[in-house]
Amino acid sequence: MIKKMELRHPLWVRLLHWSNMISITMLCLTGFYIHAPLSFRLFENMDNARTAHFAFAMVLFVGVVLRIYLAIAEKDWPNILYHPIEDTKKLPSMIKYYLFLAKDHPYYGKYNPGQKGMYTGVFVLALFQVLTGFILYKPEFFTSWAYFFGGYLVVRILHYIVTWIFVLMVLVHVYLDVAEGIPVLKSIFTGKIPADFHHGYHVDEQGRKIEPERGVSA
Amino acid sequence: MATKLSRRDFMRAAAGSAAAVSLAGFLSPYIAEAAEAGELPPVIWLAGGACTGCAVSLLNCQDPDIQDVLLKVISLRFQENVMAAQGEQAINAIYDVVAKYPGQYVLAVEGSVQIKENGKWCVIGEREGHEVTMLQAVKDVGSQAAAIINIGTCSCFGGLPSADPNPSESRSVADIVKGKPIINVAGCPPHPDWIVGTIAHYLLFKDVPELDSAGRPKMFYGRIIHDNCQRRQYFDNGIFAKNFGEMGCMLELGCKGPIAHCDSTTRLWNGGVNWCVQCGGVCLACTEPQFPNWPIYERMAEMPIGPATTATVDQIGFVLGGAAVLGIGGHLAGNIATGRIGSKKDHDKEEGDN
Repeated sequence: MIKKMELRHPLWVRLLHWSNMISITMLCLTGFYIHAPLSFRLFENMDNARTAHFAFAMVLFVGVVLRIYLAIAEKDWPNILYHPIEDTKKLPSMIKYYLFLAKDHPYYGKYNPGQKGMYTGVFVLALFQVLTGFILYKPEFFTSWAYFFGGYLVVRILHYIVTWIFVLMVLVHVYLDVAEGIPVLKSIFTGKIPADFHHGYHVDEQGRKIEPERGVSA
Repeated sequence: MATKLSRRDFMRAAAGSAAAVSLAGFLSPYIAEAAEAGELPPVIWLAGGACTGCAVSLLNCQDPDIQDVLLKVISLRFQENVMAAQGEQAINAIYDVVAKYPGQYVLAVEGSVQIKENGKWCVIGEREGHEVTMLQAVKDVGSQAAAIINIGTCSCFGGLPSADPNPSESRSVADIVKGKPIINVAGCPPHPDWIVGTIAHYLLFKDVPELDSAGRPKMFYGRIIHDNCQRRQYFDNGIFAKNFGEMGCMLELGCKGPIAHCDSTTRLWNGGVNWCVQCGGVCLACTEPQFPNWPIYERMAEMPIGPATTATVDQIGFVLGGAAVLGIGGHLAGNIATGRIGSKKDHDKEEGDN
């Protein structure tokens, strides 16, 4: 029997996801070497690490700009942009589900509010990294921007803190996707997910829970 | 008639390029010529919260000789360290210039201005039975000056006296006097060429040189130390000194070369003999507005995480990372215990795998 599949991630989402994943991973690795070349001995010398860092910074910059453009052009942005009112209202039911206080959660759309918050945060932080990165890359041009943040040393620390936030975020992101089920993990490679995959219960107009038609246990 | 390069324009170009390649001695005949028309331009040098280092740096000026500067280029009317007059006589010299040449003299300030107790924390002299504070002097003299040239990081940005916790409430000159052209010759101390070059540029062209976003002349502060450092190849090759005296880039010892703007690498100090990094010291980035509010011998400042408690970003990151791993472990156990992961798997098998 061939399972009925539906498209979850279009090709451009998958391509940008993996290009951004590669560039963020490489930026973190080269960044940790540039931060502590004596203890984090992953690269042969600073020249290689810095060249790779700047190259992948450009890849990430293009990736983020393309992702923003396509999110607007393909009307994908309501899926990933955290809505301060709508999504905050949905937050308690999600927290209850994650803390095992509820057996199931309502249907949130493509992503739950936690995911939306995280993806919106990644965009903001990626843009922040691009900005602080360029300030540190060309200190003789972006002097006034650096002084806006309180000097280059502050910019350097901020850039490094955000690197750590990225590492922690990736940890949580990968775990939650795996925990949600292998089909979710698979869908970022193939783009497809079983049509009957349970994304949470739906409610009718009176707010009553609609029981799923088949094959799903709570 | 096609426009020709006038003599004055030619001088301007020649003097400008002379300043750029640090042939400061080349400047003095032109300045002397420019000054021929009238008297030598009066300069008042005030020192507040200062260590006299900037004045000593200027006295080390070699090309041109400091004698030439003082006798042929400028008319220095007040300078505590080199003037013969004392007491009220000396202080009166300041106010004589202010009264006689309003809007024509140049004020050079060394050191920061203390504003606590209405300036009582820094008294520079006495006049008519009352003390003259640095705050009062800078206000009186600065408001009538043609331009203010800040000599040293203290007068430019506050510098050492205004570093935390700043008990004397020291401020930069720009915080005290508003609405006057201010040129910041930063450095702790600034190179004599930067001081003489900036003063000469102003007196010759009657105009402020091109400044960067921190108000420093671009001709001296346009480059980054790190980009022209003699030890740069060590950095690129990943050779880092762990102790002072070793070969290698001193970034891990706290060198601030990558964030410091000035041309010490190529100009060299003490008449072209040596400079900070070449003689084995780290760059402190003494020309930057944030100097010295950072750890000098550490690469990255620690984060304040509570009252009188700091931690490195790495320490915070490892703690948060450990907490995240523990949280994930606990959640995973919960997921298995409640059968969430198991049920999904069963559901998968039930439907067949693709």
